[in-house]
Amino acid sequence: MAHPSQLGFQDAASPVMEELLHFHDHALMIVFLISTLVLYIIIAMVSTKLTNKYILDSQEIEIVWTVLPAVILILIALPSLRILYLMDEINDPHLTIKAMGHQWYWSYEYTDYENLGFDSYMIPTQDLNPGQFRLLETDHRMVIPMESPIRVLVSAEDVLHSWAVPSLGVKMDAVPGRLNQTAFIASRPGVFYGQCSEICGANHSFMPIVVESVPLEHFENWSSLMLKDA
Amino acid sequence: MLHTKNKTQLPLMGILDIQNTPCARNSILHGAGGSIVAGLVHFLVTSRVKRSFDVGVTGFMLTTLGSWFYCRYNNAKLRVQQRVIQEGIKNKVIYEGTNLDPTRKTKGDA
Repeated sequence: MAHPSQLGFQDAASPVMEELLHFHDHALMIVFLISTLVLYIIIAMVSTKLTNKYILDSQEIEIVWTVLPAVILILIALPSLRILYLMDEINDPHLTIKAMGHQWYWSYEYTDYENLGFDSYMIPTQDLNPGQFRLLETDHRMVIPMESPIRVLVSAEDVLHSWAVPSLGVKMDAVPGRLNQTAFIASRPGVFYGQCSEICGANHSFMPIVVESVPLEHFENWSSLMLKDA
Repeated sequence: MLHTKNKTQLPLMGILDIQNTPCARNSILHGAGGSIVAGLVHFLVTSRVKRSFDVGVTGFMLTTLGSWFYCRYNNAKLRVQQRVIQEGIKNKVIYEGTNLDPTRKTKGDA
């Protein structure tokens, strides 16, 4: 989850998010260098006593400030396109989960083998236990097996919502009447938090998403327990 | 008790978080060193102050970029190796005792 006054991304929990983090660092370094150069040029322009009233053209500098930005853009575009295609690769998911957005909670359906479905409501602040996170915890988590490709089909029952988990690098709009698909792999066990990312009414800020990644045998135990309780 | 890591975030120029970005700190330090060396050498040779500053800034950018890409490339190679090793360890555990076990000594009979 995010920690207070955090500026950067959360730690990656999926291979795609790791790639996104690396690309972000790469782009940010380039932006930093450009900013440094521009700042230096501004200071130099402001502090110079040199004037020349007779400059008409200068082919050299025109070539430099045309070619250099083109090179920089290529340096940014190539990794960007690589990640774009990487995110769209066809994978063979081991599990399909349907995430349905409602006002104002999420419901999850695991229908690959049995019919397992449950709602996931935010735990109100007054009901939190010590150590739990305000506005992020839910009564039922979406449990997934770790290191397995997971497909999530996202839709909504009423208005637009958006299913987002930043540490997994996943965000997909939940549109009523439409089925959107996203996929990810949780590289490590853990609990990953997200929040609804499309304005959906009064309690838009109070319908979080919690994904819990566990080893496969724990996932099987959990799903058996959930089916028994259902 | 929940322990949160105290990540002090003071981005350089409000943009680059040096402490938490891999390779950033070393690149900036190399860049600073390269900038000082380039500017100083140029000044000692030409005695032109303003141009030496320009050379220094150019040196900073080139050295930072060079150090950055070199470090990131090495890190990327290490990451690929790490993935290969992880797959190998996982497969070793799965395939242990079977025909696909890479550590199995062949006994001569087909």
